[in-house]
Amino acid sequence: MNIREKILVVEDEKSISRFISAILDNNGYEAVQARTGTEALSMISSHCPYLVILDLGLPDMDGLEILKSLRAWSSLPVVVVSARDHEQDKVAALDLGADDYLTKPFGTGELLARVRAAIRHTRTTSDNDEIARKGTYTVGELTIDYNKHQVLVNGENAKLTLSEFRIVALLGKYAGKVLTYDFIIKELWGPRAGDDNQILRVNMANIRRKVEKNPAEPEYLFTEVGVGYRLAEGE
Amino acid sequence: MHSEESILKRLFPFRWQDLLVCVAILFCAATVCMILQSVSTSEGFASPIFVLAVLLISRLTNGYLFGLAASVVGVIAVNYTFTYPYGAIDFTLSGYPLTFLTFLMVSVVTSAMTTQVKQQERLRAENEKEKMRANLLRSVSHDIRTPLTSIVGSTSAILENPSISRAEQEDLLRDVRDEAQWLIRVVENLLSVTRIGENGQAQIAKKDEAAEEILGDAARKFRKRFPNVNITVEAPRELLLVPMDAILIEQVLVNLLENAVRHGETTTCVSLSVRRQGRLAKFSVRDNGRGIPRDQLPRLFDGTLKSSETSSGDGKRDMGLGLVVCLTIVRAHNGFMEAQNMEGGGAEFFFCLPLSEEEEQ
Repeated sequence: MNIREKILVVEDEKSISRFISAILDNNGYEAVQARTGTEALSMISSHCPYLVILDLGLPDMDGLEILKSLRAWSSLPVVVVSARDHEQDKVAALDLGADDYLTKPFGTGELLARVRAAIRHTRTTSDNDEIARKGTYTVGELTIDYNKHQVLVNGENAKLTLSEFRIVALLGKYAGKVLTYDFIIKELWGPRAGDDNQILRVNMANIRRKVEKNPAEPEYLFTEVGVGYRLAEGE
Repeated sequence: MHSEESILKRLFPFRWQDLLVCVAILFCAATVCMILQSVSTSEGFASPIFVLAVLLISRLTNGYLFGLAASVVGVIAVNYTFTYPYGAIDFTLSGYPLTFLTFLMVSVVTSAMTTQVKQQERLRAENEKEKMRANLLRSVSHDIRTPLTSIVGSTSAILENPSISRAEQEDLLRDVRDEAQWLIRVVENLLSVTRIGENGQAQIAKKDEAAEEILGDAARKFRKRFPNVNITVEAPRELLLVPMDAILIEQVLVNLLENAVRHGETTTCVSLSVRRQGRLAKFSVRDNGRGIPRDQLPRLFDGTLKSSETSSGDGKRDMGLGLVVCLTIVRAHNGFMEAQNMEGGGAEFFFCLPLSEEEEQ
């Protein structure tokens, strides 16, 4: 029998914790449960889990605090769980280094997809393995060529401008992961760029018109309303 | 004691911008009087001009405070500047006591009545909102009770009947899941309404958003939920930036799309589109279902439809809540929403949102 990857589920609601654990246990993982933030932090050091599923609303401390103290010494993948009416928390968690998020309520399929993606990202160490090896990233008919600074669709140069290319290149580096508007803006235009999203919106619209068949039904560059952008990931 | 104080505060609220308005209007009145004084020797014009000023002030400021203050200031100013003896206060000249008393009375009554009318208007608007809220609560209570009954019933049936067959169990559990999903939607709709809050548009944070992104994300969520229904999305070639709270507008689209499937009954195809129409962005959701029954069309948005009217008896829930929420959100964006049956069959729901100032040229 294989050694099963251990996943720590940090959630104070017993019923939610139980069903998450049941799903994980039945899909080849081993779930361990923590009910409070303090318990979670001590279990992270004692159990060395492969991944943490972290609810942001805990009784004893803010989930964001746990994330912060964890990120001070570990790059262990973290998937945060939050309710729909707390977009700000989600964005803050991603900016603090969370790998992905799940919005309550979520189903089995979504939970497993996020867990798989987050684990896959840790295996391909330096952000994106394919880029490191070949200098390109491909998903579907879209190829990002990091050496030539080009994006190809069906083998043809999509003729992106430099800043358009840099946006796609950044998303490609973290393919499958949501990047917040703030993160993208700071990476591209520096920390003092302010939080005006409009320039990003306009750039993204132009990219989609060059890359997507129908910009309103993107196949590669997805919007997560209120949070950020995500580039599709090839399986 | 405390309540007396709060009544006083409500009737005589003080705000700096009101003071500014008050001073500005009085200043204008004085200027007009001075100009008239330089071309005419009559004194009669000063009082009506100041009464008008008082009227304007009562209309444009909050509470009784500034209207009344302006009345008194007006009387003194007219006496001091625009009537003999100029540059001095003298109410004792023959005829003056009566003249200025009348002037003061007219001013005070004008101010008080204007303020009162204004407050009545506000009350009426509040009543309207209260009625909408009551409708909402009514449809929510109904929307919640039925699925809860079913969840409690199904789960106890499984737990308390050990002999129940596996297939039956699965059916019951599937019902539980469907009902719970319905409840989630109800709660999400409620959350949207609380986001809008007490004062309508005051609390929504509008940002320029790319309309195509909102459509794309709504369509992606829809596909996940209804993989068997075909959806097409259409957006203009030119990027359309619309000021909105993206989460709320997406909620409107998701509601309309789900309604199209749930209430269209025979819907196999929905289309989602946005286009520019003058100074508006028009979002539209069309389906190829059975359309909207004619008798329901005029009452769709007021939340008074009962589930018994919108369902064909097979447990479809009333679309009241979803639509009331949509309408509340669209109104908070200063937009409007309408529904119609299309000629070739099926229904269309659309809403329009105003575009930003730059696009309004």
